[in-house]
Amino acid sequence: MSRLKQLLKIKKLKQFFPNMKPLVIITVLLFTLTSCYNRYNNVSVTEPVKSSVHELVHIPSSKEMKKIEGGSYLGFIGKDSGRIVTVDSFLIDDSPVTVSEYLEFLKKNPQWTKSHINRLYADNDYLHNWEGDFEIPKNVDPNSPVTNISWFAARAYARSVGKRLPTIDEWEYVGLADEQTKDASSKPEFTEFILNSYQNKKTYENPIKADKPNYYGVYDMYGMVWEWTSDFNSVMITGESRNDSATNETLFCSGAAVTTSDLKNYAAFIRFAMRGSLKADYTVNNLGFRCAKDI
Amino acid sequence: MKSLFRILVLSALIFTITACKQNNDSFFGHQTEYADNGENIKTDGTTETLAMVAPPFVPEPTGDRRAKKLIVNLETIEQIGELADGTEYNFWTFNGTVPGSFIRARVGDEIVLNLKNNENSNFPHNIDLHAVNGPGGGAEATFVAPGKEASFTFKALNPGLYVYHCATAPVGMHIANGMYGLILIEPEGGLPKVDKEFYIMQGDFYTKGKYGEKGLQDFDIDKAIDENPDYVVFNGNTGSLLGENELKVKTGETVRLFFGNGGPNLTSSIHLIGEIFDNVYVEGGTSINHNVQTSSIPAGGAAILEFKADVPGDYVLVDHAIFRAFHKGALGKIKVIGEDNPAVFKENEPIKTAS
Amino acid sequence: MKKAFLLLTAIFTMLSCKHEEKPKEVDLSNSIFQLDSTWEDQNGQKIKLAELNGKILVIAMIYTECKTACPMLTNEMRNIERSIGNYDPAQVRLVLVSIDPKTDTPEKMKAYLKLNNFEGEQWLFLRSDDESTREFANVLSVKYKKISPMDFSHSNIITVFSKYGELAYQKAGLSNDIKDVAEEVKEQIKKS
Repeated sequence: MSRLKQLLKIKKLKQFFPNMKPLVIITVLLFTLTSCYNRYNNVSVTEPVKSSVHELVHIPSSKEMKKIEGGSYLGFIGKDSGRIVTVDSFLIDDSPVTVSEYLEFLKKNPQWTKSHINRLYADNDYLHNWEGDFEIPKNVDPNSPVTNISWFAARAYARSVGKRLPTIDEWEYVGLADEQTKDASSKPEFTEFILNSYQNKKTYENPIKADKPNYYGVYDMYGMVWEWTSDFNSVMITGESRNDSATNETLFCSGAAVTTSDLKNYAAFIRFAMRGSLKADYTVNNLGFRCAKDI
Repeated sequence: MKSLFRILVLSALIFTITACKQNNDSFFGHQTEYADNGENIKTDGTTETLAMVAPPFVPEPTGDRRAKKLIVNLETIEQIGELADGTEYNFWTFNGTVPGSFIRARVGDEIVLNLKNNENSNFPHNIDLHAVNGPGGGAEATFVAPGKEASFTFKALNPGLYVYHCATAPVGMHIANGMYGLILIEPEGGLPKVDKEFYIMQGDFYTKGKYGEKGLQDFDIDKAIDENPDYVVFNGNTGSLLGENELKVKTGETVRLFFGNGGPNLTSSIHLIGEIFDNVYVEGGTSINHNVQTSSIPAGGAAILEFKADVPGDYVLVDHAIFRAFHKGALGKIKVIGEDNPAVFKENEPIKTAS
Repeated sequence: MKKAFLLLTAIFTMLSCKHEEKPKEVDLSNSIFQLDSTWEDQNGQKIKLAELNGKILVIAMIYTECKTACPMLTNEMRNIERSIGNYDPAQVRLVLVSIDPKTDTPEKMKAYLKLNNFEGEQWLFLRSDDESTREFANVLSVKYKKISPMDFSHSNIITVFSKYGELAYQKAGLSNDIKDVAEEVKEQIKKS
């Protein structure tokens, strides 16, 4: 019965529309065109959250800085293993930036808080153990170094207090000093001390300035946290360390210069390898920073 | 006539099918062409995540399964562990053990290597697998800072037993601290079946304190450069194959040892006191030597050692550079349990001398 | 038979296109157009990255004095442009960014583009101050280091950005196999 009805319907349609075939084709075409048309034109763009470093609110900083007299030293990475590095005199924070100091920065610059930070400037682990935007974790010492902050965030902080990040050359220069001398790099016990300090776990939980400072009065260069530098991305170590001493020439242009000048300086090897493994948006449990300033 | 013809056609078909199946079976020979066999092997479209097992045990044999996509998850973990009784060491590990978990795959597998660096690590790490045909054996692709992860895929082209290890600078230190393991790529059809399989890796350790000094020991880089270790051990601990950890086997069983040498410096002269290795897959490759007493395993190398447990008793596995075995810990035990076998070994009555 | 077939196709098309495509939410918090840095192009004009909003970008960081890998990198950019096929030059920008802004003045940048026959509005050479250059490189995960007065060591990376400034694809190393990059650019053009 239903079949008859269907046939009748078609017959009726045929009466009204004698030219069924072209009509069907046209309707099919129209449907395809109209319904699948709006693929990408219906894109709604959410307003980007403005988090530009240039719109920072400046804050005061009570952190002590030490003057480092300029000088030269044999760089760890250099052309023909003999690269002399020269640094001008500069000022450097006497300790890493602490959790409480960073909180002060966030209060005045909420665009850098955990929930507001721009995804371009930090990965998902940014301040991951903070309870809220302005809440330090309960089990964390406010005087311990702030970690799980990206290079962009560290830079923003530095700018907000009228400073900058130190360069690798500057950091390494200050790192040459032990308690008594400016340059303890030739003392094997100093390299040993540094290597040992790298073995302890969760040293980022310790308060700053608990140990003795170095020759310059600068604390916690070792045994606390890895530290961001302004030019950490100048380290070409790929992770393929067997290759790094004769660098991969397709990955890096002019790579031949990137040899290490002192193979026995394992501590520096470790530091440079760490820098080479980082990207600017990374946030790592044991990576913090301190600031520097031009004189 | 017609039925005879049909039978002939049928038998011809059967012959061709079985012949094709046996084509790449021989792990043992006829492979004079370069190993591009692996490249042409197609995976069957399925994916499996390899179930990880701690040493000295290994995952199930691949048998005659088809090549597939295999997911291998490794995590680099830095943790303090026991090097000897009362002596601790800051090990850097793959998956929390020294050596790292045994990876088992077959030729033609597409292996997805996911490497994660535990967030509590102090250092960046990566991995270089000697089974990989590709830059750095995967080292560049897997360079990970603490808390980060990376992944790469490689096709297993060559069957064999290969070492994997961390290759981050300073690479000597990463290896010396225990970051090594073995990856087995089984041939088409799998290795011949044996009753027991074990996974052992030798390593030399360099500590500030002398052998046996108690407490947490630090890595000594000068001793490492001088190639003068304090400990030479199996599986990261002087006691890893002793006491309740000794390997247990029954008489009559065939035993296969996947033996690797993480180094970083010393070559191992591996010998099982009281036994002869019936088969030694030389250097973990395709050639098989027979009736071997002591096999030389270079640092960064491996071999498959097989024997049949004929007589019950205690068999001691040693590095036959003998002072290492008795003074540095290169010693382990295989206990064979079962019926006596006097035809093979029998203690004789003392000879009575005429009074 | 024919009619039934036509009817069936009609039904299928109607069904498949029936559900309305939900407007795609584009989250711009990943966009490089947010960077506030000021750049100078080969004509000496100052621009902000946000002015490139709406254009698909293919970016390589080089320096004009580079004698080793940069010529190859530049060649890859050329091949990518050729492989895209027909496109509206207003939609795409092939951008060279200098890692040696002190040496690469607008005159040098312009000469470099001319030397390579990179003509048309789609070709852009930019420089900025050291800080902004370092920041930009970090967004692209490009590494570089000055190793002598004239030479830089740097990673060889070509990056493709969508017209919203989101990182879509990266190619590292000099393999001259630019097929995937070109494919990505074509995809981006299609989406526009």
